[in-house]
Amino acid sequence: MEERAIPRAAAGLLAALLAIALVACGNVGESGGSGPGAGEGGGPAITVGSKNFTEQYILGNMYALALEDAGFKVERRLNLGSEQIADRALQNGQIDLYPEYTGTALAAVLDYEGDPAQLDTPEQTYQRAKELYAGRDPADTMLRPAPFNNTYGIFVRREAAERYDLRTLEDLAEASPNLVFVSFSEFQGREDGFPNMKENYPALDFKDVEIVNSIGLRYQGVLQGEGDVGVGFTTDGQLASDRLVVLEDPKSIWPFYQPAPVVRTEVLEKNPKIREVLNEVSASLDVETMRRLNGRVDLQKEDPEDVAREYLEREGLIN
Amino acid sequence: MEGILQVFLRPQFPGLLLTHVELSALAVALATLVALPVALAVRNSPLGTAIAVNAGNVGRAVPSLALLALALPFLGFGFAPSLVALTALAVPPILINATTGLREVSGEVVDAARGMGLSEAQILRDIQLPMAAPVVFAGVRTSAVQVVASATLATFIGGGGLGNLIVEGFQRGDEAILLAGAISVAALAVATEALFGALERALTPKGLRLARRRRTK
Repeated sequence: MEERAIPRAAAGLLAALLAIALVACGNVGESGGSGPGAGEGGGPAITVGSKNFTEQYILGNMYALALEDAGFKVERRLNLGSEQIADRALQNGQIDLYPEYTGTALAAVLDYEGDPAQLDTPEQTYQRAKELYAGRDPADTMLRPAPFNNTYGIFVRREAAERYDLRTLEDLAEASPNLVFVSFSEFQGREDGFPNMKENYPALDFKDVEIVNSIGLRYQGVLQGEGDVGVGFTTDGQLASDRLVVLEDPKSIWPFYQPAPVVRTEVLEKNPKIREVLNEVSASLDVETMRRLNGRVDLQKEDPEDVAREYLEREGLIN
Repeated sequence: MEGILQVFLRPQFPGLLLTHVELSALAVALATLVALPVALAVRNSPLGTAIAVNAGNVGRAVPSLALLALALPFLGFGFAPSLVALTALAVPPILINATTGLREVSGEVVDAARGMGLSEAQILRDIQLPMAAPVVFAGVRTSAVQVVASATLATFIGGGGLGNLIVEGFQRGDEAILLAGAISVAALAVATEALFGALERALTPKGLRLARRRRTK
């Protein structure tokens, strides 16, 4: 036993070290690196920031890569935190731009007195946010938003949609006594979450509500039939699957959330080319594309910077 | 904005607290029922002991979220998968302590007992178990405190409990909700430690208690 124990122990140790190395290599962090940019352009670096979730890492990297390709020197400070933190960094000049959603800007960042959900169109939402950003001190410019809406998405399995003939939230409300809703704590607690749904579609009366605070398990559960209806965000990677159907919201009970670069106006005035570069990136996106890209990071565990770069190269937006 | 106190006064709070306690208590009980027989079975075998201790250590490293994802197709959402994952977390400290505790009972004492003609069953009941009791109990106590802290994982799979508050506070950027949850869990963990401490004192055989006291003089 003794003589064979040593080589066996060594083999075990080697296997363990290999496993650790593999995990460490696969564990590419969500935050983009903050290395100096590759651009050869003269002048100070443009600092690109982002908030702290997948879509933000992808958008932030897209902005950074596109600007570098256009000749700017770029520094990245991604994964800053919530909109409060990102906005503070912007106003302090620690970053020069970051992706913000039109609805979020009105609801959480700017001094907007009204209810963003009352605005009728995405364009109106954008214009109000743009005005308020321009009126700040120091002033900011919200560039053209990408033409997709990242809002709450209420989804069901395709079979359930066919069985109960579900296309809209109104249909869902009628069928709800037969259905189990898989939600999460924030959605149930926030005024503009579940209470908002119930207020606008009063027939809503789910058989049961499960609070499952892991987005992965929520999707897995609905796909496996543990629940019938789930809530996520309309650009979640999981929604690229044709096994799930997102229900329409005819009453438009939520604000429009389209992402746009918010740039310090003085930086934009010194470098007007930023506008053209980033507008081109934004215009190229749509909800299906965003879902796919988000899915590659969240589900296939790819690196956000790689995903962003491949997308821009394939679209011919960078070389 | 709610203050911390308002969170405690929410009508759902007692339910969350109760679920948390139920999950924790059941997990520790089940873990003890699993770990003790194993420890007893391997007590006289050095190989068996080594395997048990190493299995326990490996068990500590298993990520609970992975366990939950695996359990989902079989157990669905809610109490059952949460209990399974927590029980898996609760076993290692009990298994390791029980195994080593039983092994540590001095070989000389056991030999002397055999020499006196005691049967294996008598030796186990009258000598090994009582002498190992403090170590075993410490294992259960460690496990209980860990489980109370980890039962927050139930929130990820619809099991409820105080984790719901912590996650809600975190998702909404609301410190009051977050703190209410965290403070509750911490208080429960401290209370569990205190409870088991008292139980341990009550259950330690009088002879051992006296021996310890004498040694410290």
